[in-house]
Amino acid sequence: MNTSSSIVYLIALPLFGAVALLLGGRRTDKWGHLLATAMSAGSFAVGIYQLMQMLGRSTEERAITQTLFSWISVGSFDIDAALLLDQLSICFVLLITGVGTLIHIYSISYMEHDENRRRFFAYLNLFIASMLLLVLGNSYLNLYVGWEGVGLASYLLIGFWNQKPAYATASKKAFVMNRVGDMGLSFAIMIAFATLGTTTFAGVAEASHHASEAALTAIGIMLVIAAAGKSAQFPLQAWLGDAMAGPTPVSALIHAATMVTAGVYLIVRSNFIFDAAPTAQLIVVIVGAITLIFGALIGTAKDDIKKALAASTMSQIGYMILGAGLGPAGYAFAIMHLLTHGFFKAGMFLGAGSVMHGMNDEVNMRKYGNLRKFMPITFVTFGLGYLAIIGVPPFAGFYSKDLLIETAFDAGGIKGPILGSITLLGAAITAFYMTRVMILTFTSKARWDENTHPHESPWLMWMPMAVLAVGSVTTGFLFTRGDALVNWLNPVFGDHGDHHSEHLFEPIVVSMMALTAVAIGVAIAFFKYQRADIPAVAPTQVSFFTRFARKDLGQDGFNEAVFMRPGQKLTSLLVKSDDRVVDGAVRGVGRLAISSGSWLRLSQTGFARSYAAFILIGAVALIAGIWVVTQ
Amino acid sequence: MQFTSPVLDYALLAPMLIILGGAIIGVLIEAFLSSVYRLQAQLFISVMAIITSLLSLVLVRDRLSVTAAMKTITFDGAGVLLQGSILIIALLSIFLIADQTNFTAAAATVPGSAQEREAVQAQSRTTEVFPLTLFAVAGMMLFTVATDLITLFVALEVLSLPLYLMAGLARNRRLASQEAALKYFLLGAFASAFFIFGASFIYGYSSSLTYSGIQAAVVGGAGNDVFLLLGMALISVGLLFKIGAFPFHAWTPDVYQGSPTAITAFMAAATKVAAFGAILRLFYVVFANAEWEWKPAAVVIAIATMVFGSLVAITQRDVKRMLAYSSIAHAGFLLSGVIALNKAGLDASIFYLLSYGIATVGAFAIVTIIRDSSGEVTDLNRWSGLGKRSPVVASTFAFFLLAFAGIPLTSGFIGKFSIFSAAYESGSLAILIAGVLSSAIAAFFYIRVIVLMFFKDPVEDGTSVVLPSALTTIAITIAAVVTLVLGVFPAPVLNFIESTATFIR
Amino acid sequence: MTSLTALALLPLLGALFIGIIPSAKVDLIKKFALGTTVVVAMYAIYMATQFKSSNVALQFVEKHEWIPAFGINYSVGVNGIALVLIVMSVILTPIVVLAGWHESEGGRWSAKVFYVLILVLETMMIGVFAATDIFLFYVIFEAMLIPVYFLIGGYGSGERAAAAVKFLIYSLFGGLLMLASIIGIYVNSNKLGVKSFDITVISELHNYISPMTQNLLFLGFFIAFAIKAPLWPLHTWLPDAAKAGTPGTSVLLLGVLDKVGTFGMINFCIALFPEASKTFTPVIITISVISILYGAFLAIGARDLKRLIAYTSISHFGFITMGIFAMTSQGLSGATLYMFNHGFSTAALFIVGGWMIARRGSSTIADFGGLQRITPVMAWMFFLAGMSSLALPGLSSFVSEFLVLVGTYTRYPVAAIIATFGIVLAALYILIPVQKALHGPTTPGNESLKDLNLREKIAIAPVMAAIVAFGIYPSPLLNIINPATAQVIESAGFTDPAPTENVGK
Repeated sequence: MNTSSSIVYLIALPLFGAVALLLGGRRTDKWGHLLATAMSAGSFAVGIYQLMQMLGRSTEERAITQTLFSWISVGSFDIDAALLLDQLSICFVLLITGVGTLIHIYSISYMEHDENRRRFFAYLNLFIASMLLLVLGNSYLNLYVGWEGVGLASYLLIGFWNQKPAYATASKKAFVMNRVGDMGLSFAIMIAFATLGTTTFAGVAEASHHASEAALTAIGIMLVIAAAGKSAQFPLQAWLGDAMAGPTPVSALIHAATMVTAGVYLIVRSNFIFDAAPTAQLIVVIVGAITLIFGALIGTAKDDIKKALAASTMSQIGYMILGAGLGPAGYAFAIMHLLTHGFFKAGMFLGAGSVMHGMNDEVNMRKYGNLRKFMPITFVTFGLGYLAIIGVPPFAGFYSKDLLIETAFDAGGIKGPILGSITLLGAAITAFYMTRVMILTFTSKARWDENTHPHESPWLMWMPMAVLAVGSVTTGFLFTRGDALVNWLNPVFGDHGDHHSEHLFEPIVVSMMALTAVAIGVAIAFFKYQRADIPAVAPTQVSFFTRFARKDLGQDGFNEAVFMRPGQKLTSLLVKSDDRVVDGAVRGVGRLAISSGSWLRLSQTGFARSYAAFILIGAVALIAGIWVVTQ
Repeated sequence: MQFTSPVLDYALLAPMLIILGGAIIGVLIEAFLSSVYRLQAQLFISVMAIITSLLSLVLVRDRLSVTAAMKTITFDGAGVLLQGSILIIALLSIFLIADQTNFTAAAATVPGSAQEREAVQAQSRTTEVFPLTLFAVAGMMLFTVATDLITLFVALEVLSLPLYLMAGLARNRRLASQEAALKYFLLGAFASAFFIFGASFIYGYSSSLTYSGIQAAVVGGAGNDVFLLLGMALISVGLLFKIGAFPFHAWTPDVYQGSPTAITAFMAAATKVAAFGAILRLFYVVFANAEWEWKPAAVVIAIATMVFGSLVAITQRDVKRMLAYSSIAHAGFLLSGVIALNKAGLDASIFYLLSYGIATVGAFAIVTIIRDSSGEVTDLNRWSGLGKRSPVVASTFAFFLLAFAGIPLTSGFIGKFSIFSAAYESGSLAILIAGVLSSAIAAFFYIRVIVLMFFKDPVEDGTSVVLPSALTTIAITIAAVVTLVLGVFPAPVLNFIESTATFIR
Repeated sequence: MTSLTALALLPLLGALFIGIIPSAKVDLIKKFALGTTVVVAMYAIYMATQFKSSNVALQFVEKHEWIPAFGINYSVGVNGIALVLIVMSVILTPIVVLAGWHESEGGRWSAKVFYVLILVLETMMIGVFAATDIFLFYVIFEAMLIPVYFLIGGYGSGERAAAAVKFLIYSLFGGLLMLASIIGIYVNSNKLGVKSFDITVISELHNYISPMTQNLLFLGFFIAFAIKAPLWPLHTWLPDAAKAGTPGTSVLLLGVLDKVGTFGMINFCIALFPEASKTFTPVIITISVISILYGAFLAIGARDLKRLIAYTSISHFGFITMGIFAMTSQGLSGATLYMFNHGFSTAALFIVGGWMIARRGSSTIADFGGLQRITPVMAWMFFLAGMSSLALPGLSSFVSEFLVLVGTYTRYPVAAIIATFGIVLAALYILIPVQKALHGPTTPGNESLKDLNLREKIAIAPVMAAIVAFGIYPSPLLNIINPATAQVIESAGFTDPAPTENVGK
């Protein structure tokens, strides 16, 4: 494989930005945000340069590596700090740095009045650097570093306003649940090393050809756990909603466009494992399927615009995971949906931020309404994103989602119809809750109080939104034109020729079904909300389902009942027993010595007669003793 | 039948004779010298006697002989070392005794009587303690080299009787002191009875009183084993009493507490050397071949003694009693040297006796200088905060305690290590385990005292450290230095003991 | 010139000089102490550069006769493992001195005593890792307790006396068990035909003694080390000691002294008794896993900052022990690296935590809050330290922790899997105090806390630098450690398990 010496700059630039701003402290307040943005943009430029280089090379030559130094080397456990830039990672590099830069720009204005804006940008750069390391590492261990790095950045950004206890708790929750996933990743690495003797992607791929299915399945399952943690997939999804505590640009960048998609990257990157481990692959599909419905349902009940979008993110990633679980046929489409989603979801989150910006940080959609009058640009950009996500042609989401649904139907056997219909159902629900969001926010009657003065955001904010909107319009078309993205990516998956052996339904049929589903969803929402007038406070007399969905389908209640409370019980039990039992035993020994001492002491009567008696008894005993021994 | 006059090798007896001579001169001084000069004179005589005795011992150290006085005294390497140790300890003790403020003005007076007050006004001194000490020393020296049960018994009494008297000479709490003396005397007499009883059984067994004769009988195994058994047991009782081994220990705390501290120091240190000297000789030389008969019992007694001493010491509130029980525990440790019954055991025991004896004198010496208006303060609670008031004294005492506890870099550690390894080498794992565990218990109460002195705040009750007399200071300093040197650089002494210590038969 | 003896004596020399500085000149004393420790650190680092990592034999070897009677030598030398630990110790000491500039004030005794104790302790820290004579090791191992005891009891806070005693008794108990084993070695060593304590000689002993004996000897050592390290259930002294001691003392206690335990497991338990190690491995691995989770849970439940840090250490020592007895090169190298890294991350936690406590006048976590806004720099330092304690990738402790886990997994997958749950608990026990202390609204009483001053920044900078640098580039350490660990594993008769699936390769 060719080597290069310039990949590292992708990471180095934002990393330098982060370090400079954190060490520089208040001195850098004035220009910190500019430096950070410049670093991110610079990294994007390097990305473009790398892409040009890559396009210039023949298909086999496109993947390049850079070995920086020997990181950990003990016995046969020999890990280099090395980077791998191939067709897959370049997609992510451009997404991360591109969207990242836009969000940097957006934040300059969005965070203008925050005294800690510099720190915010430092975190953003730290995130960009870690995320790039995640997608560029050439081994699972290198990936792990980025993996936890983004976790840290996410923790810091969710808790950016951690003076609010709720926010601090949210950030902690995110970190801990991510750690559960990370545990899966560590297991995967351990198993890989113990069974295959290597942890590099290349090495594992090579070894996977002659490894037992059991081993690969084990690794695969562990990778799914990891992916679930990072990508907020069932059963580790509960943290994402609370993560909306972070400033909105963070939600856009980390919790919509990039970090949460790391799980998809991990599974697609590990294609060689899942291809050889059907069981693991099936689990991936199941997780994806469950989550895409789960998230969608939650989305239907949320009044907090950001939480609604978060739920939708969860559900969309469910699509991607499902796609990734469909094997070679699905990898490319999963990535495609990931990229398009990156555009439209980020765009919509920025839109939400812009709305909050105009509504003194109100997030409750029931207090919005008729904003299209006051924020036309936001309305338009958000609207384009909306059309994209529900999958209206020719917007980006239509292409990527449609292909996923198709592939789901073609999964074969009983799997096909089931998955296909789930994806269709998901599409319908998506259409419903997104329409609901649109209506509540922009088109329905105004419901805000008089001292709110909605206004359009400054250009620094809407410009990025506009760019992303363009993306959400065009990307789908560009990617699919001549299967551009599929052909681009397939070499990474060891280029399995044509997978569309025979279709369950003709593509056109699938598209029709999909569009019907969407239409139904939109229609229901339209009649339910556009016609009726919406109460400014959420009605309490609602169906059990609604209440259940508002409570995130009981995910937190479950975790509390099953993990938190027993854990706290165990902890307090151990704390007590450590003092009473363990240390108690130690103290007991001491007390025993003292008490036996004071008991023996009673023999010290002070009377010469009793002393003499001792001597006599002792003498007799002695004689007896010796006698016994000698006989 | 004709009478052959005894052949005596005076050169070899000289060390003992010199001491006895000193003692007699002391008596004469008491009789004829004006009380004004007595103290200085007695002190001078005693010190000179001990030093010259030491010198003469050095001169003859290589002339080993089984017939120093017919067959009743054997002069050999072990004897030299033991006698030397006794003399060194005696010298240090004399330095303490020289500080007469701890002794009653007139022992003969009834406590609290008019005569006593007069004596106190007259500032009369109890200088007779010097010759008494010398007599005791002579007895102890003889005790370690006697190779004849009668001689051994005589030595036993010669060393005991003066101690009985000296125990009663304390200045304050005289009643307690006299009670202690009486107890010591009664029980001592009782124990001596056992001893002589046992001796007669041995004679019945071997029809001989000399070690060589008895040993021959034991090796030959001709005699009636029941007699041997009874004899061994009863003689042991007499000797175990002297070292304060369980269950013959009961007198120790009371006597140690009651006696003038200087005397306690002398008793605790020197008597142990002498008594163990005798025991070692008896069991290494005479009863060695009856090993399988007495060893199990000895192991039991040793373990019981260690554990008992350590456990009871924890509960003590009085420093002298605490040290008394600690000395019981140490008697147990020392017994493991007897059980070892090998060269290493002998060497270890001698080293242990010397180092422990010196540390003990040092420790008690410090007790003598912790006082309030009415005299010594031995109640531990009133020692609290000593480290704040007089750090040097407290640290030195702590150092001695650490030595007793057997912390490395003190002589106590080398002693423990060598004696336990000797015991284990002879195959008694039990002794090793018990020794280690009781050391752990022992550490507990030594540390308690250290905590008291350093980590508790002083109680304002006038407890203070009197400026020790020059001689006491010297004694403490020597003791401390020796304890340290024997801990850090014991090689010369160990080598000397190893090359010298032998029992010749 | 590179001499371990010289390195070890330097601090002692400094202590002597401080001894002659008048106690009133506190500032001079502090500066002098700092200067000394810095010189020592630089000398040690220079020696490290002279170390030939390719050469697996002991280096910088010195050997002199000490107590020939027992075949005891003063012999020192280091392999890679000992070297990194020495370097860690001597780097931490000046940091402790600088960070705790005012710790010596408000103690029972003068600042002078404090720094004398610290320097004496440093001498022993170097010696204990350098000793290649088992007896010498033991002597230092025990003697070390004394300065720590006085540091905790004399300069600590709260129940300092009780904590100090608890620490001392626990350690003495373990030490005495080890003494029993050492005596066992000494006595059995004549099976080798030589009386010796030299590790290289004794490492042959296991071929000559019965499995039973070997197991007993092993246990004597292991229990002592398990108390030191501390492992569940012998850990209860640590939280008390850590809470009572000054932050500096706790750094040296957890950062360095406890490592003597884990170091001993490698250098004595495994090196001397490989078969016994194999026998007990299942038990030990189990105990380690329990310690990992147990310590973590107690840390989560801890209300006091210092106790919390102590419990995290118990969890970390579980990892270290598990790595050691996994007997794979990753496990052992990881464990050794872990010892080094843990030294720094614990130092960071205790030093910064100590500053927080000193400023707030309370060590209860609930009393803090919102520090991130009041004292950003201090908050950041605490956060970083916490991140390194939960082994965040990119920081040094991740490398070692992951090596331990991987190394354990290849031989004991179940243990490794259970242990990995520790990383989730770690997230909790770090983030909970972070949230309570640094986040949330400012709790009353914190408004006026001062942020770090220049001295403190200078003190903490190297620690953080090490944490980050060795996380990104641990090779310099691994290059020194790997040959040594490989040799230990080989001589213990182990080989790394080969990948199970590389069929056809």
